[in-house]
Amino acid sequence: MSAIELKHLTFVYSKKTPFEKRALDDINLSVEEGTFLGVIGETGSGKSTLIQHLNGLIKVQDKKVSSVIVNGLSATDKKALKNLRFEVGIVFQYPEYQLFEDSVKKDVAFGPKNMKLSPEEIDARVRRALEVVGLDYDEFAERSPFELSGGEKRRVAIAGVIAMEPKILVLDEPVAGLDPAGRAEILALIKQLQKDVSPTIIMVSHNMDDIAVLADRIIAMHDGRIELDGTPEEVFCNREKIAEIGLDLPLATRLRDKLVERGVNLPDGIVTPKQLETALANLKSGGLNERGDDNV
Amino acid sequence: MSQIELKSVDYCYSLGEGRSIKALKNLSFSIEKGQFVTLAGMNGSGKSTLAKLLNGLFLPSLGEVLIDGVSTKDENSTFEIRRKAGMVFQNPDNQMVATIIEDDVAFGPENIGLPREEIIERVDYALKAVDMDEFRTRTASKLSGGQKQRVAIAGVLAIRPEILILDEATSMLDPKGRREVMGIAKKLNEQGITVINITHNMEEAVLSDRIIVLRKGRIAIDAPPKDAFASGLIEACGLSLPPVLQLAENLKKDGFEFDNQILFEDELAEGVCRQLN
Repeated sequence: MSAIELKHLTFVYSKKTPFEKRALDDINLSVEEGTFLGVIGETGSGKSTLIQHLNGLIKVQDKKVSSVIVNGLSATDKKALKNLRFEVGIVFQYPEYQLFEDSVKKDVAFGPKNMKLSPEEIDARVRRALEVVGLDYDEFAERSPFELSGGEKRRVAIAGVIAMEPKILVLDEPVAGLDPAGRAEILALIKQLQKDVSPTIIMVSHNMDDIAVLADRIIAMHDGRIELDGTPEEVFCNREKIAEIGLDLPLATRLRDKLVERGVNLPDGIVTPKQLETALANLKSGGLNERGDDNV
Repeated sequence: MSQIELKSVDYCYSLGEGRSIKALKNLSFSIEKGQFVTLAGMNGSGKSTLAKLLNGLFLPSLGEVLIDGVSTKDENSTFEIRRKAGMVFQNPDNQMVATIIEDDVAFGPENIGLPREEIIERVDYALKAVDMDEFRTRTASKLSGGQKQRVAIAGVLAIRPEILILDEATSMLDPKGRREVMGIAKKLNEQGITVINITHNMEEAVLSDRIIVLRKGRIAIDAPPKDAFASGLIEACGLSLPPVLQLAENLKKDGFEFDNQILFEDELAEGVCRQLN
């Protein structure tokens, strides 16, 4: 069964006004459980509108035509909506702006409390969530979230979402604004979350290098439509389309192209630095000009 | 005389109850007119504190900050120093004061009480300088992040600054917005404005003449980009080498050799190519 099934999903902002804007235009998308899906596209391409449909934050506009089904729950079914919210956890951009409680413990407990879990279960989940994001319970539980560093705040915010143990975790630009150490920590954490908590991950990012390394599948959006859909290798081979919809190629692909222009014999489908290194090392050692392995 | 000079500057944040944290420790350096300087360091290294000392938003706890030889502690010069050193901040949505773009840019010149003709002239110049002239009568809310930051820069330019300080002005932008803002900064620098770009993005740092890296409130590196990256200290300061350079470093392990520090993609492609053909 697909984790996510979107059919003919269309959404129009400010309908019937001069500011009418079609944010989503007949989107059809099916995502298998266990997928790491990368979502790319320029600002205003519809990425945020799409992800907010997944847990019912934005309601399906035309129920006759469009459908949103997540783990068998329909977003148009009012009774299912509450469970849908627990099924899909969304970590928004700059999630630390949404911290509001006076202690880390209370902030992380907010979601599980809404799930009407027992106090013991809530406590267990808060402990687990803080452990998963790498914050020591005894050290952080009673502290105010507002006196933490930027990276720590973001971890607390992520813990608040994963304490609900959502099967699907959606992250919108999770490393924006962090310094390099913070970025590396959060990206490693996301990989770990896929193993430990949420098997299906959807990550929105402007960083093609991060997406090329992390995602098994990428959708590229433009003007409310999915213009490209495939593995990172497939998507980034489509150079004209990527340029046309205002996106960049990953560094490794750009370098591969520059080398090919200069007469170096490299295969297509190089999207990560590791793939490029492997391919160049093979050429250098005079080995067969074979494709490097795909591992990250 | 240097345009900016720091003499043994300490800055302490008060935590109340007589406790304080020293964010900057005994900093001394100078910046010449027309330089393009990257000010880098991990979160909490003191770089934004330093930026706020440069235009007198903060005053040093010890030591002195001199702009064209005048101390920021000199109250009579505060106004002139703020005019000379304009700042653009991180969040594009927090810096707009008016709904219409030309009104927003006019805010500064209006505040210094310039005559109407002069205001119009300056708004003209500033919007053209950031390539936002065609948007002048539009509403700010319809702009992209990169366009908003360009308007924020125009707002600063309308005061005719000599120093432009970008305090993580690109960190909330998408790649296109980032390129737009850095392109404008580079252009203004070529016209003689000193640019101080605060960032932890080392790809931006490549564009500058000089990188100053702060670590725990002290200067850890102060060198041109190539030397800074070759120093072996970048990672210890919580930063990372530009991706192109990282790749070059990894290729060295596979037997490739590069005589110069690689900063740009074409340099790497040339270097690799020479060793394969």
